[in-house]
Amino acid sequence: MNVLRRWPQVLWLTVVHVLLWGTVSVKIVVGGLLVAVVVTALFPLPLLPRLPVRPWRLLRLLGFLVMDLVVSGAQVAWETLRYGPRARAGIVAVPLLTRSDRVITLIAGALSLAPGSFVLQIDRRGFDAGEARWYVYALGLRGPDDADRVRRQVLSLQRKVIGAFGSPGELRDCEEVGS
Amino acid sequence: MIRDVVCAVLLLVGALSCLLGALGLVRLPDLPARLQAATKPQTLGLVLILVGTAVRLEFENAATLVLVIGFQVVTAPVISQIVARSAYRTGTLDRENLVVDELAGRMDRDAG
Repeated sequence: MNVLRRWPQVLWLTVVHVLLWGTVSVKIVVGGLLVAVVVTALFPLPLLPRLPVRPWRLLRLLGFLVMDLVVSGAQVAWETLRYGPRARAGIVAVPLLTRSDRVITLIAGALSLAPGSFVLQIDRRGFDAGEARWYVYALGLRGPDDADRVRRQVLSLQRKVIGAFGSPGELRDCEEVGS
Repeated sequence: MIRDVVCAVLLLVGALSCLLGALGLVRLPDLPARLQAATKPQTLGLVLILVGTAVRLEFENAATLVLVIGFQVVTAPVISQIVARSAYRTGTLDRENLVVDELAGRMDRDAG
């Protein structure tokens, strides 16, 4: 059965249902399970091979994202208070290190979560020639040095996400690029 | 007592983060810069306020707040990105204000 093969989706929907009710009881869990099965059967998502997840690296990534949220928040606040209308920004091109749709989505989300920067455009053409690029908008740039700093930060975040979710081959490739 | 202090600190810092975001919305020069201030500090502010609230609640009521945080964190970046992209293409982004614009070269090559 397809619903059985989509058990992670069923599990996730059941958890959401239980969290919404706020209490754990047999009635609510079974009810949530039923709703989850019906929803999964009616609106099936495409079945894809599961991404490899490395829990320790994922935990470190989450820790980094929380830190980043606070630190970048302070930076944007400083930029607002110190420069205000004279704040400068820039768009920086950064090499794209993965070809997986889902990993790209995760990286884009992680990049855009913290204040101060987000992904404007992703250009995946010429991946094999190493020409695929992220175009990242960053607030608070002053000169070319800052652009290089943003480039390094984005590359390191990419490595962190690929480290947590990337295929073993990609993990090897991006560590080579880094060294 | 300690709970009250933790809760108060979290709520105040969260509110401060939202306030700074609102200030940025008024003070920053163009749309994408304002978007940074409009979407991101609110995420942090909301997370802090909800955690502060959760400290004071019983566990079962606090569980729902986890969902709110999760969905906020997942959806906010997506929206800001879509708005920013259209801002660049429609010219609401003040290009004079950019220190570097490495996307411009690529766009011109595509157009030519």
